[in-house]
Amino acid sequence: MTPFSLVAPASVDEAVAALRSDAAAGILAGGTDLLLDLDEGRTRAERLVSLRRLPWRTLDWTGEALAIGSTLPLRELEDDPDVRRRLPGLWQAVRAVGSVALRHRATIGGNLGRAAPASDLIPVLLTLDAEIELVGPAGTRTLPVDRFVLASRRTALGPAELIRSVRIPAARASAYRWQRVRPANDISQLAVAVARVAADGGWRVAVGGIPPRATLLPDVAEALGRGRPTDAALRAAADRASRDVALVADRRASEEYRRRLVGTLLRRAVADGLGGGGPA
Amino acid sequence: MSVSFRPDAAAKLAGAAQYGTDLAAPGMLWGALVGAPVAHGRLRAVDLAPARALPGVVAVGSAELDALIPGGGRDADRPLFAVREIAYRNQPVAAVAAPTLAAARRAAAAVRVEVEGAPAVVDLETIFPEWPGSGAAGSPHVIAHVRARHGDVAAELRRAEHVVEETYRTPSVHQVALEPHACLATVGDGIWHVATSTQSPFGVREDVSSLLGIPEASIVVEGTWVGGGFGGKGSSLLEPFALLLARAAGRPVRLALDYRSEFELGRTTLPSVIRLTTGVTDGAIVARRVRLLLDVGSSLPGRDFATGYSIGFLLGPYRTPAFEVEGYGIRTNKPPFGPHRAPFAPQCVFAVESHLNEVARVAGLDPVEFKARHLWKEDDATPLGQRVLAFGLPAALEHARAVARRWRAEAAPGEGVGIGLGFWSTSTGAGGEVRLLLTPEAVTVEQGEREIGSGSVLRGLAAVAERALGLPADRIRIAYADTARAPFDSGVYGSRTTGALGRAILEAAESLQATLAKRIAGEGPVTLVVRDGELVVARAGRSSPVRELLRPDEVERGIVAAGRHYGRGGSIDEARVVDGTFYPYTDFTGAAHVAWVAVDPETGAVRVRRYAAFHDAGTVIDPATARAQIEGGIAMGLGIALTEEAIWSEDGRLTNPHLLDYRIPTLGEVPIPEVTFVEGFPGAGPFGAKGLGEPPIIPVPATVAAAVREASGAHVTELPLTPERVARALKLL
Repeated sequence: MTPFSLVAPASVDEAVAALRSDAAAGILAGGTDLLLDLDEGRTRAERLVSLRRLPWRTLDWTGEALAIGSTLPLRELEDDPDVRRRLPGLWQAVRAVGSVALRHRATIGGNLGRAAPASDLIPVLLTLDAEIELVGPAGTRTLPVDRFVLASRRTALGPAELIRSVRIPAARASAYRWQRVRPANDISQLAVAVARVAADGGWRVAVGGIPPRATLLPDVAEALGRGRPTDAALRAAADRASRDVALVADRRASEEYRRRLVGTLLRRAVADGLGGGGPA
Repeated sequence: MSVSFRPDAAAKLAGAAQYGTDLAAPGMLWGALVGAPVAHGRLRAVDLAPARALPGVVAVGSAELDALIPGGGRDADRPLFAVREIAYRNQPVAAVAAPTLAAARRAAAAVRVEVEGAPAVVDLETIFPEWPGSGAAGSPHVIAHVRARHGDVAAELRRAEHVVEETYRTPSVHQVALEPHACLATVGDGIWHVATSTQSPFGVREDVSSLLGIPEASIVVEGTWVGGGFGGKGSSLLEPFALLLARAAGRPVRLALDYRSEFELGRTTLPSVIRLTTGVTDGAIVARRVRLLLDVGSSLPGRDFATGYSIGFLLGPYRTPAFEVEGYGIRTNKPPFGPHRAPFAPQCVFAVESHLNEVARVAGLDPVEFKARHLWKEDDATPLGQRVLAFGLPAALEHARAVARRWRAEAAPGEGVGIGLGFWSTSTGAGGEVRLLLTPEAVTVEQGEREIGSGSVLRGLAAVAERALGLPADRIRIAYADTARAPFDSGVYGSRTTGALGRAILEAAESLQATLAKRIAGEGPVTLVVRDGELVVARAGRSSPVRELLRPDEVERGIVAAGRHYGRGGSIDEARVVDGTFYPYTDFTGAAHVAWVAVDPETGAVRVRRYAAFHDAGTVIDPATARAQIEGGIAMGLGIALTEEAIWSEDGRLTNPHLLDYRIPTLGEVPIPEVTFVEGFPGAGPFGAKGLGEPPIIPVPATVAAAVREASGAHVTELPLTPERVARALKLL
């Protein structure tokens, strides 16, 4: 790893100023992904701005809606009983990230900002209609996840802009299912998130674990219908998903294995989202 | 329940134990290797000038050798640096040292390496798209050939009621010791000194002597604490380069691999293709034919250990009246093949066990009953005509069957219970020596091996000494010394340490007792006891404190008794060997394992729910250490079974040189195994002990594969059993 200098501003203004003074500086919000990239030479930064002193390690419920401060370690999200109860899909996705030790460092803001194609959180946040609150030189703005994550490792984050929080509206149901070679500390070969957020009981479906980024599948969601899908609707949705998703082969899985997984994981996630439980 | 701590636990927990990666010295430089940028090709030029232009940088390459080692007769077959031909990617072409690690890396990057790339030879099945016939031995890719036979296999297979032929594939696996290779070299006053994390200080001394062409007497190797070896630290890797740099710099040089380089340069097990053909008539094996293609990377011709030793495990442990076995060591553009805990046995045993399960299925027999009927028993002959000595595997299998019956009764749909058998032999290797030093307070075992983590030195040797001398643990000390001062030993490998050095301790203990017998009156055996806090020599009712039996000069220095153990036992029928070298077994050890797995019928994912292991370890010398070896071996074996696979690209590049994509098991994937020792079958070690470092890993992939098959019907013929491979075997894809 090439040496870098580290600053840890105590206020948002200082953090923004530090980033404005050095456009090439990296943002450190846990470091479980960034430091690996620096070590492997995939990313270069001579200066890192750490967000650890900012007052963003927060978890606020407003009724059924949740606001998560961007530097909240994932482990704290995982340990919150209300997250598990009200947003089980998010809870399952958080538990899928790395290992316990890693989740003590990793943050939700870091996960979104790094925008790894295999992020476990992005598919779930897509289905939950999550919004991202950004703060920067021009003040604050809010973007839906779908417009924030643009491509593999690419986001809508502007110069000297930071992720302040992630807001998740109330959800009626949510679930996340993944498949990996090794259950812990691995990257998903494929993942499926489902949620019912709309008042009319409609589904949202997203697929993750495949480059370039996690994607919402509105046609698949449409095929599921409203509320509890019939077996025929579920089959149609699974077929549609394995047909529609642009799958690729890489060193983690072949295209045909991923195709097989799409339908399987979708069925399991929907069953879980309906409260039927089902295997992980 | 009493809790005991290993003698090294406190220092390791407190961070006080100095590993190879902790090595440092005043004025030290940091070294770095410059590797070939292609896996195959011609090396046109290496220009060190840009590196030397950087401040404080020392650089050495082939051209500097003559000046650094005047008259040094370097090993022409094993050039330190690539000279003309590049044999594998990252093969060292030069080495640099600089005042900081970052500066050393910059200097390494500054060296200009000019190459003319050539297509790399990487994949066994590209080299031999058709299964090689007997003419393959003449192929330029074949650098080792072994062959043995007995009986008329072709005729037996023609007559057999059932003949099953199958091909198995196994990948490259890495040792993944927690600590990468690391050493610190200092050259001065005619002494080439290297402190290093090694399984074999004397082996490193011999290697360095041969590679650099300097006498062993001028070389001192000092072992550090070793953060795991598993075969990967059995011979020299970085030491010759560090010594050359230290010589050139006139200052100490530290050279260590980062983990990526550890994957890329480490000596690992490479891929194989194994073809097995078995004939069965009336439920009995009549013949087996075995063909092995083993990727040996850029290993050198004539080194047929890999094929000769491995192939022994394709021959047993089942009675086979007629057999024919042929193995090819095939050179590819990868680093040289290296040993990995029980070199290549888990892979061979996976193939043989899975194959016999398939043979039994085709013949309409119960696989375990079929194996039990053919399993070697004491006094049977092996296919190579060696008499089987005390062998606890049949007894271990009976235990395993009982557990499997209980687990099967509890298993849910989609779950299965499998049994796998593995055998091994304690290697006494090239032997070793110890000295026992008796002082008024304690007996010290002076020897030349560092503890590599298994406990074989600090607990194994101590337990032998305790038992041989009848003394409590706090009166036995284990002392380590470097190669200039310690008695010789060949290394901590081959499950041999407690066995071979333990035998040497027994001999030294006898000698010590004989010396003491001359100094105390009376008849009968002499024993040492602790009385009122001091060591006392007792004989037939008389006793005398050790202090009083020593001459004044000895009270300070102590008295010394030496012991040694060399040689291996057993012999094979050489008439059955056609080509190459096959090895007899010193003793016969083995284990029966049982796995209970759940297989996801839609994704192919395998989860190991419970695991039991029954080990013939001869006489167990130190139960806690022995149990830990079995638990660790099973964890490592589960990696080979389920997730571990180093993948080489067509151009000879390792595509997953990091721990994210080279997946060792996490504790979440490893159930705590239920471990049982099957005693009463003595081996070649002290008090009838058998080596236990390697056996626990051997049956694991076979056992898991058997359980997966029982759970799901998936017959997987390639390791590891990833979800996708299992899904393919289930015809889901």
